Order: sequence, then C-alpha cells, then structure tokens
Amino acid sequence: MSTARRRSPVLQSRLSRSAALARLALRIGGRYLARSPRLIFASVERRGELRHELALRTADDVAEELGSMKGALMKLGQMASYIDEDMPPTFRAAMARLQHNAPPMSPALASSVIADELGDVPERIFARWDPLPFAAASIGQVHRAITLDGRAVAVKVQYPGIARTITSDVRNVALLRRVAAAAFPGLDTRSLIDELGERLREEVDYRLEAENQELFARYYEGHPVIRVPHVVGELSTARVLTGELVVGTRFDDVLQWNQRERNLAAETINRFVSRSLYRLHAFNGDPHPGNYLFHGQGRVSFLDFGLTKHFSDEDLAPLADAVRFLVIENDGDGFRASIERAGFLRPGAPVPTDVVVDRFGLFYATVLRDAPMTITPAYASAIVRRFFDSRGPLAPYSDVPRAYVVLQRINLGLYAVLGSLNATANWRRIAEEIWPFVNAPPSTPIGEAEARWERERKGQELSLDRSA
Amino acid sequence: MMGRYRGDVSPEAASQISMMEPLARAFERSVPPDPKDGGLFGPHSVVWRVHRDRSFSLAAIRSLMIQALHPLAMAGVAQHSNWQRDPFGRLAATAGYVLTVTYGDTAAAEGAAARVRAVHTHVRGTDTVTGLPYHADDPNLLLWVHAGMVDSIVHIVRRYGRSLDAADADRYVAEMARFAEIIGVPATRVPASVAALREYLESVELRQVTPAAAEAIAIVLDPPGLDDDTRELWHDLGQVAIGTLPDWARSMYGFIEPLPHLMEREPVRQLIGALDFAYESFPGVLEARERIELRMRA
Repeated sequence: MSTARRRSPVLQSRLSRSAALARLALRIGGRYLARSPRLIFASVERRGELRHELALRTADDVAEELGSMKGALMKLGQMASYIDEDMPPTFRAAMARLQHNAPPMSPALASSVIADELGDVPERIFARWDPLPFAAASIGQVHRAITLDGRAVAVKVQYPGIARTITSDVRNVALLRRVAAAAFPGLDTRSLIDELGERLREEVDYRLEAENQELFARYYEGHPVIRVPHVVGELSTARVLTGELVVGTRFDDVLQWNQRERNLAAETINRFVSRSLYRLHAFNGDPHPGNYLFHGQGRVSFLDFGLTKHFSDEDLAPLADAVRFLVIENDGDGFRASIERAGFLRPGAPVPTDVVVDRFGLFYATVLRDAPMTITPAYASAIVRRFFDSRGPLAPYSDVPRAYVVLQRINLGLYAVLGSLNATANWRRIAEEIWPFVNAPPSTPIGEAEARWERERKGQELSLDRSA
Repeated sequence: MMGRYRGDVSPEAASQISMMEPLARAFERSVPPDPKDGGLFGPHSVVWRVHRDRSFSLAAIRSLMIQALHPLAMAGVAQHSNWQRDPFGRLAATAGYVLTVTYGDTAAAEGAAARVRAVHTHVRGTDTVTGLPYHADDPNLLLWVHAGMVDSIVHIVRRYGRSLDAADADRYVAEMARFAEIIGVPATRVPASVAALREYLESVELRQVTPAAAEAIAIVLDPPGLDDDTRELWHDLGQVAIGTLPDWARSMYGFIEPLPHLMEREPVRQLIGALDFAYESFPGVLEARERIELRMRA
C-alpha cells in the first residue's frame, strides 16, 4: 500500500520531497565530507579550518553531534552519493558551504581517549604531543606526535563512545530503512543498509584499518614511487591508530606543477590502483585527492585505509574477463557475458550487444587503444554522467552489485583525480604490465623501476620461503 | 500556545514544501546573528540550554496534547484559527515565538510578545461544549498553556534529551516564569518548580476532551501532506508522545499506553536523531545552532 501511494501521481508530494531531499543530500554529503579523513596529513596551517571554538568537550557532546543516527546517516548519505544520480552535482557546493562544520574534540577530551586506550596521558606516552588536531577524521581526529623513540607519527583518535552508539544505530535497521526510503526514493535501500552496517562496523574498529594499512605498507615496501606509511602497532588500539607521519605536497598544489610532473604523479596513482586490485586483490576504496601526498618525480604516498575492500578470485574473475574480451580479444559477446556474470547487466536484456559494448566501453576508453591518451576533466565527468545515466538504453537493466560498489567508487574517484591532473600516458601499455593475463614488459621508466622492485620482492619471498 | 494568530501559509503552498522547512526558517530567524543583548534569559541560563535540545519536536507534540485538554484554551484555537489546514506552518509560528523569546534580544522578545498579546485581544467567544465564555487574554488560560508547555519540555528533555538534573530542571521552570509574564500571566502565579507545575496542572478543574480537542490531536498525530515514510516516522513520534503523557491525560484521550520497549531512551533518541538530521539539512539550521553554542560558550 505504501509503495502504491508513493508512486501515485501526486505531483505536489513528489515536488516537496525532491526539494527537501536536495537539501538533505546537500547536508548529508557535505557534512560527511567535512568530517572525513581526507585531510589527514594536511599541513599544520590548515588546522585553522577546524572549528576549535565549537570543540566537543564531553562524551555527551559527541553523542549529541554524531550519535542518535547522525553518524550512520551521514555515512549512508555518502554511500548513496555514489549510486544516486541526484547527489553528485550538489557535492562541491555542499563541501564549500559545510567544510567548516567539523567540530574537533577539545584537547582534554582527546587526551582522555589516549589515556583510556594507551594507559596514560599523551604527554607521557609520546615524547611530544600536539594537543590540537591537524585534521578531522570521520569518527575522530588526527594529532601529530613524536614517539619516545623519536619517530614522527600521526595519531588518529576516535571520539569516545562513538563505537557503541554507531553499533547500536546500525542495529536499528527498521528505522534506517524508513529514513533511507524517505531520503533516497527509488534506491535499493536494503542492500545499501546492509553495506552501511558492514562499513560502519569496520570503521569503528581501527584495528581493521591498521591491519589493512599494514598489508599495503608491507606489499609496497621498497617500491620506487609508491609509499604507504607503516602502522606503529604498539601505539594502536581499536580506538587509536598511530602511523608514520608523511609530509608532502597536497593535491591542490600539485595542480600547479608542470605537466610532466603531473603525468608522472598520475601514472603512479594509476599503477597503484591497478596493481592493488589485480595483484594484491585489495583496494583502498577512497580515491580522494586528500588521501594522496606528492613528493615529485612520480613519488606518491597513499593514506587512509579505513575503507579497504578485499576481492576474492570470484569477484575479480568476471571483471578481468570483461577487460580481456573487450580490449584484447575484441569479443563483444564474451564481454557481455562477463558483465552479466558480474551482475552489472541483467541477462537477456533486450538490447543489442553492440549497444552494450558502446555504453560500457566508455569506462574502458583509456585502455582500448595502444596510444597515448589525455584524461581530461571532460572525459572524467562524461564517465560520471554515464555511470549515473538513468535514461540511457541500458538503464532499466543495469545495476551495481554490492560486491562492486567500492570498485565503482574507485573508478569514479580515480578518473576525477586523473582528469584534474589532465594526465597523458599510454594507459593501455601501463595496464598490460599489470594485467595478470598479459604480463607485458615495462613500458615507462617508472615501469622499469617497478619491474626491478618486483623482481627483488619475489627474490626476497623466495629466500624467505627457502629459509622457512 | 495554539491560537495566537492565523497561519499565513496557504495549504497549497504548505504541501509544496517539506513539513520541516517552515520550522527551519522560523528557527533561523529567531536566533539573531547580531543581538543587542542577551535577551530575557541570557546565554548562561538553563532556558538557553534546554530550548536547543533536539527532542523539542517530541516536547511540542506532548505540549499540544496537554494544552488541548482545557476546553476554553481549545475553543479559542478551534474558533479563531485555520491551523488544521497548515499544522506545520502553525507549529512553526509557535516555535518561532518560543525561540525568539528565548534567543532573541530583549527588544525582539518583547516585540514578539506584544504582537501575540495584540492578537489575543480579539480571541474571545463561548465554548459550545461547556457553554462558558473565554478570552485569550485570560491569565488562567495563558497559565494553563504555559504550564502544559513547560511541563512537557522538562519531562521530555529529562527523559530523552541531554542531561538535565533535578536542580537544573527546577531552575528551568523558575526561569520560565518570565516567559509567562511577558504574555500576561502575573509572575507570582507561575509555578516555580517541577513539582509545583505538576501540582498546578492536576489542580485545574476544567479538564476534558472536547470534540475540538479530539479532532485537533488526531491531526497532530496524523498531519496531512506527509509522504508515507515521513508519516511513519511521525506516527512513531506520536506514539512516544502518548507514552510520555501523565496517566490522567492519556486516559482522558482514551489512548493505550505504548509498549515499554517503544519508550526506551535509545530507540527514541535514534528516532529523534533521524528527524533532526533531516531538519539540520535545511539551510541555516546548523548555523543558528552554532550561533547559540558560541554565545553559550562565550
């Protein structure tokens, strides 16, 4: 009954909802982004952007600000923004308007969390402790510190009590469903809420993030251009995450660098995405510019592993097949069968295969031809538009299966980043180095260095195996 | 609190916008960026602390339920207002008044009270159920309306809002005497503690559910113009409000007491939080809250 009435042609209520929802979307998207860990290693002077005058001073303040569904709904809005075509256009304006709405913890409150988690006040746990955070995180904030043995670290501190309240909020599925249905009509809110529950349960336990970050840090150990800071395990708990402090140039400033440098940076980001996916079978699902720090000559540090997705062979196989059929074997039917198998396209949709190839092909445009290609901002936004296209010939039959929601975020975010850099490279050659079904030789200087690194890695693994 | 003046939003216009939008606009307007002084209560009062609580929507529903139980207060509303056609616009007007008197500077608070008193002079008539004459200026009616509101706010905030201990709850009730005074109740007549307030409410002889009250509360519990999902959330809120009523009020209406698990603090706070989240999504709400917070901290 409820569905029937919702679809009834009462224009007024539809209008009222979309007007309110546009604002809700604005608020949700913006609020979340303002709190997210994107700015983690931002420079100290950006501290001024945190609203210290509104600092949360007690656990009661925290509960008021982020408890009672608020944290959960912010996250839900953020997730919906990646699959609801109404959201993205409002994003930038929302960010600009709401960037300032991220009250940090007061120094005393942050200190009390450190004391609870690490056994003593930060001034005694660390040789130096900056009582003012330099960045906000989604459910906490980040402080600079120097460990007793002299390492510069970034310490992410979780809001007290937030884990308990978020866990309880996520359990109230009935309420979440209703709110989600009101806020995002037409969306499959059931799978979204399942995903939300999983994500938040992961996010409140920093040990998972630490584990993931360390997985990446170990894998990329010694890599010529990719760097992932190590976790300081003895100073990390479920609520405190201490990692090596990285200093570098922020994305906004990199946009002022010359095109050669920008191309190198883009190549490294692209390699990181492909390699993590195809070789490590894991990906940090937050390809946000704030999660990168740049060091010149293609060297990039990757931060924030709060949203890491591990892919099984079964998850990956249809995706790899799709690329192989489309790009290498030029087999439209094979391509179509693969994306049907992955769940992106309903089997038997009454759409000719060449239309399927044409529509989905845009997503593979960078690797279709063996030639240099510039990823322009226009191409990046065309990708986003195509992805959110609800009117195209495939729209009634396509969907993003849950297993790939994170992957879609990676893709959309990646193209936005590469587009901003206006980067040129032979992306096909780079991809062929990394695709396990091609394993091509190095095609660029970075590729050469990477190949050397990989040989050394393998050598080390072998010698470790032998000694074991 | 009802019946101060007629809603000025046409029902057609009201249904085009979300129910929360007029509330959001009223809130934004009530908290001045540039106040001349601290107003009637001041940023360090308990009134400031209590009136920014997110459980205010729930307190508002409970207030209306108590206030409607005085046949003469109810008659004044029923005969002089078309609020049924735009309940949320009407609620926003009342909320705007409460918030202006709270967070506005002294001139704004007194101006708002003067406007309401001017409207009240024209609100008079005879209640068809009891046959008694009424006049909105009557301090007895004003006191009833005041007590219904203050009792509801204290009860709801203590139960579902931010921490408010018994001493501060009494301080709140005492501070609110000023609120009643500017609308025309002699300060000496206003109960100054939680217990005195409750005692007063139960001492009023003329309490009953008139058909006008039953109709009004039916609309409060199921307002027109909500989409299905919002309506369900609102229904839940109404059930909680019913559960918080004093037994005498609930049995007058013939409401069944909701199951205890519906009344637990955590799920109710989640419900309030979800609605508040949507409310905060309206431009200006968060900024107004920040203005209040910053002044309270100064």
